[in-house]
Amino acid sequence: MPRIARSAQVAWEGNLARGSGHVSADTGAFAELPISLPSRIGNPDGKTSPEELLAAAHAGCLAISVAGELTKAEKPPEVLALTARVIVDEVEGKGHQVVASEVDVSGRVPGIDAAEFARIVAVADAGCTFSTLIRASAAVTVRARLET
Amino acid sequence: MAERRADVTWTGDLMSGSGTIDSVGSGAFGPLDVSWPARTEDASGGKTSPEELIATAHASCFSMSLAHALAQAGTPPERLSSSAAVTFVPGSGITKIALTVRGSVPDLDADGFRAAAEDAKANCPVSQALAGINEITLDAQLDD
Repeated sequence: MPRIARSAQVAWEGNLARGSGHVSADTGAFAELPISLPSRIGNPDGKTSPEELLAAAHAGCLAISVAGELTKAEKPPEVLALTARVIVDEVEGKGHQVVASEVDVSGRVPGIDAAEFARIVAVADAGCTFSTLIRASAAVTVRARLET
Repeated sequence: MAERRADVTWTGDLMSGSGTIDSVGSGAFGPLDVSWPARTEDASGGKTSPEELIATAHASCFSMSLAHALAQAGTPPERLSSSAAVTFVPGSGITKIALTVRGSVPDLDADGFRAAAEDAKANCPVSQALAGINEITLDAQLDD
């Protein structure tokens, strides 16, 4: 299999509390997005954060995995809609940690029932790189709902 | 406690279908397109991917953790330029992340900078969340 490399760049100026930075993706999909500590842990104020980027990565990874498993089962989805929430909390003795990632997956999939959809979403979760990685240190919850 | 959210829509099968990161809770970006070919071929066609988002999350978390460590030590950085390169092998997952940082830090020597960077790499929340990745490397140097 091919090895694929994807990279991002960050520029940061100053200390943590009052400094600020910018993040850019090497594909050019997004560029110069501002980040700061207050917007990371408090009101986002229109700024992204490492945790929001992880939420987007998880939703994207699982969407692709679910589409792949449904395709393998010859039941390709008309549409899947996912929402991922990444939760950071202070853990005693460890500082701030990602403690949970919760993903809701709803799908409109011809020729399938709710139980089969839930089973395939669980298989996709087990095969999603990000779910597997983060499950080592955080609670991963994936809920499946078939639209009828 | 902080909660951060993202919404994604996918249409169609894996190979010919496509997805969109419709929005994120902060409103900072989106919609962004994703697809299987763009994720797994060298030419991304300008589309992001889960791995690029993980690279961005890791580089930004690492930078903030390093800025914090340097400031705590009494040598806040003027500027840090960081990057993360994520290697993805379809079927195997993420096999490597290479972190690189160049810093402009008054009154700090190269060893002190490297030590602070190693600490940030070990302890930033995203590093901890990605601890299952076999190989995470760090190249940390002060600007000339």
